[in-house]
Amino acid sequence: MQMMAGNPRAPWRHVDLSLVAATLSISAIGLLMVYSSTRQKQLTEGLDPGYFLKRQAVFFVVGAILMVAVMVFDYQTLREAAPALFAGSVLSLLLVLSPLGSESRGIQAWFQLGPYQLQPSELTKVALIVGLAAFCSTQRGPIEARTLMILLGLVAVPLALVYRQPDFGTAMVLVAIVVGVLVVGGAQGRHLLVLGFIGLVAVVAVLQLGVLQQYQVDRLTAFLDPTVDIQNTAYNLRQSQVAIAAGGFGGRGLFQGTQTNLSFVPEQHTDFIFTAVGEELGFLGAGTLLGLFGLLIWRIWRTAALARDRFGSLLCVGVLAMFVFQVFENIGMTMGMTPVAGIPLPLMSYGGSSTLATMMAVGIVLNVHMRRLR
Amino acid sequence: MVISLFGAMLARLWYLQVLSGPEYRAEAQTNRVRLIYTEAPRGRILDRQGRVLVANAVVSAVLVDRALITEKPEVLDRLAEVLGVPRIEIEERLTDQRFSPFQPVPVVDDVGKDKLVYLREHQEAFPGVEGVQLTKRSYPNGSLAAHVLGYVGQINDRELDPRRDEGYRSGDSIGKSGVELAYESDLRGEPEVEQLEVNADGRVLRSLSRKAAVPGADVVLNLDLDLQRVAEESLVQGLEAAAKTYDEDQAKRFLATAGSVVVIDPRDGAVRAMASVPTYDPSDFVDGIGSRRFAELQAPEGRYPLNNRVIQGLYPPGSTFKLATAMAALDKGLVRPSDTVDDTGFITVGGRRFQNARSKAHGRVDMPRALAVSSDVYFYRLGQRFWEGRNGFGPTAIQDSARELGMGSATGLELPFEATGRVSDPARRAADNAKNPTAYPEGRWFTGDNINLSIGQGETVATPLQLASAYGTFANGGTAFATRLGNSVRSVDGKVLRRIEPAVTRRVDLPAAIRGPMLSGFTAAVADPKGTAFGAFAGFPLNRIPVAGKTGTAQAPKPLQDTALFVGFAPASNPELVVSVVMEEAGFGSVAAAPVARRILERAFNLEVRPIVPGQGVD
Repeated sequence: MQMMAGNPRAPWRHVDLSLVAATLSISAIGLLMVYSSTRQKQLTEGLDPGYFLKRQAVFFVVGAILMVAVMVFDYQTLREAAPALFAGSVLSLLLVLSPLGSESRGIQAWFQLGPYQLQPSELTKVALIVGLAAFCSTQRGPIEARTLMILLGLVAVPLALVYRQPDFGTAMVLVAIVVGVLVVGGAQGRHLLVLGFIGLVAVVAVLQLGVLQQYQVDRLTAFLDPTVDIQNTAYNLRQSQVAIAAGGFGGRGLFQGTQTNLSFVPEQHTDFIFTAVGEELGFLGAGTLLGLFGLLIWRIWRTAALARDRFGSLLCVGVLAMFVFQVFENIGMTMGMTPVAGIPLPLMSYGGSSTLATMMAVGIVLNVHMRRLR
Repeated sequence: MVISLFGAMLARLWYLQVLSGPEYRAEAQTNRVRLIYTEAPRGRILDRQGRVLVANAVVSAVLVDRALITEKPEVLDRLAEVLGVPRIEIEERLTDQRFSPFQPVPVVDDVGKDKLVYLREHQEAFPGVEGVQLTKRSYPNGSLAAHVLGYVGQINDRELDPRRDEGYRSGDSIGKSGVELAYESDLRGEPEVEQLEVNADGRVLRSLSRKAAVPGADVVLNLDLDLQRVAEESLVQGLEAAAKTYDEDQAKRFLATAGSVVVIDPRDGAVRAMASVPTYDPSDFVDGIGSRRFAELQAPEGRYPLNNRVIQGLYPPGSTFKLATAMAALDKGLVRPSDTVDDTGFITVGGRRFQNARSKAHGRVDMPRALAVSSDVYFYRLGQRFWEGRNGFGPTAIQDSARELGMGSATGLELPFEATGRVSDPARRAADNAKNPTAYPEGRWFTGDNINLSIGQGETVATPLQLASAYGTFANGGTAFATRLGNSVRSVDGKVLRRIEPAVTRRVDLPAAIRGPMLSGFTAAVADPKGTAFGAFAGFPLNRIPVAGKTGTAQAPKPLQDTALFVGFAPASNPELVVSVVMEEAGFGSVAAAPVARRILERAFNLEVRPIVPGQGVD
């Protein structure tokens, strides 16, 4: 430490404390809300009210350790590790579809490891960011069409495997990461236009040709008019908005939300965690949370701009794309602005794999920030 | 772009939480709160002395949690075995929509105590099953006064729709007829309302608040339990006696299976007794009447026991109508009381023969005598002369008097479904014919119609209560009171909440010059050896309690046998009670109906109550 302290260029003196503070603050709110949204239901069923809180605390601690671990080695080592990470994630996605993986609510996405589940698709997000950044950073000048095709071909593999689970939400996150990195990473404007058009056609085709399960289509389109069918698809959405809106300006108070306590919002501790914030902490709390996410995203953006090389910059862009997409899609969904898709709110939603992957991603950004000076 | 996304989210958050917050908060509130209503104990119905006519009994019932049907069906098997009812019956109750989904369902009412004890001792084998005490209507006097009391049943959609604002809910009890219906709002009380907090699965977490029930108020009737009992007995005995007499017109015994009696106080319209035969047992309705039993009660062979003949039975009044004819004749100056008619047993008008009963000739009769011996010929003449002199007297002189006495309009009793009766007249005849010539082929009014009208035959019909009310008006000197069953409404602790005051509906001008001769006629009908009710009242201490009255025998459309009627009041000089007896297919009023009235008056005036013996004479 003595030596580090003496060297003004030592990486540990350049940790982005704002980013760390934002991450820890959001995680703390997340732990609180996971507790708040599960305690009453657990109590009603005669179970331990702190069960989910304790597990999420374990995830957070493990995530924090991983985050620090990611910061220890210069992120340049990730460039060499990129192919292996990518291949490893593809392999894990293949395995999870095999009988080794387990299924929950119709989605084959987990490995059962003792009392915990590992969701390889979450870790794939990080692997994809690293892989894309590594690939694009090697390109000199604009990416040729041929190269782009190869790249997309490679990316399509994990995407297809995630979609196969079928985890539509995570697949969309992966698409967002690809788009984000490509836009900044040297893809040509006309190529992007063509891809955009193909994407549009694909979306229409998917909706029209019945590639999606009916429930997926229903969930995606329910946000357009949630008052139509309150009982079925749009019920979650309606209850979600009722919960948020019932919070009013100052909130109903921690542990006081009736929508939250009485389980009117399904999946509240995971995908709909924001509703607990909205109901119990009100506009003040929810607005503060949005501000913290804004701070976090701004620091990632700033790191991307400050990075010492293109690889580091693209790593940050990938993480940035992941955060922006997940935060906007998840919070937007709870307020009826965006389609309902099963995407966790980073650092807030209950879930080990998501917490681990997100904190590793933050660790990568911190790593880039620490080593921005040559 | 990122800034605009965050701006959009903040804007949406502001809109939802700050601008629409209250509205959504209300929705969150309805999400979590369920209101549970429990009906208040219904008020009792008491007689004028406070004796119980309808009360509530506490019975044991078994309540079962709805969830058992899916979660622990094996418990239902065990329960069915213990209770000794088919499992399917329990399931039907559990899935019955009438019961609140948030409350346990009563699957069996009136469980034996031993079974209840068994269930309690083996509670672990019967999770979700609870033995409780419920209240339900009880009738300590059996079917006594069934038509007066009415019955209670589960509210139906037709009854519920207009009453939702009054707090009625599906599954509630409501009075369906009689006093139960007429005094529903007093008897009902206010239900207990409990606010429960439920979660998204509908599971009850706790009670938020509870508003205690307000028990229904007791309704005290003018009815006298003892007099009611004697009235019912006498009517039944009278019908039995009449059924043993012989109908010479139809050459067979009288059927005499239906009839009714009403006793009112002419001084205020209070109903002291009201009986209708055949009757029913209101306790049949307590647990919801079975469809088969209900069909029996509606079948024509059963002679419609649910009908209250006192207010729904419409009969030609026969000679009892002479009250109106005599009053009209004296009032219009058609005759003086002492003017006589030579009654030769019949008259012939327009080639048509109108005769007395059995063509019996009464000789020279004045008005009192004509009333006493029931000389039809005397009244035929009045009817004939009224019509012939219609330019002077008006075409509806008799009808006007009848209407003044309350015929053709309801008496104003509180009970629902009171019939208004009909007073036939030329205008109505013409209107009926114009409207429906097939059903009413004759649109003109002839002398013969006025002759028929004068003795209460033809299309004129009245209820037994209307006849009682008309004679009551005459008896008290000309004040028509609305008839009243209710006396007062009392709280459970006996405090009078509301008195039901007598109501005067009309005043009839009855100067002594009119009333006196008529009264002596009605008195002679009972007291004079030639009077039509003399035989029936044989042995009655008329010197102490003079009785005035009029017998009647009304022809009913073939093949029905004659209707026997008697309407009378006592004491004649200072009337306290009016009795009206109408018996279907029972023959002469003097033979069948008057003895029934006699027996009821014996009880009313604390005399020895003697058995029914058929009266004598024809009327």
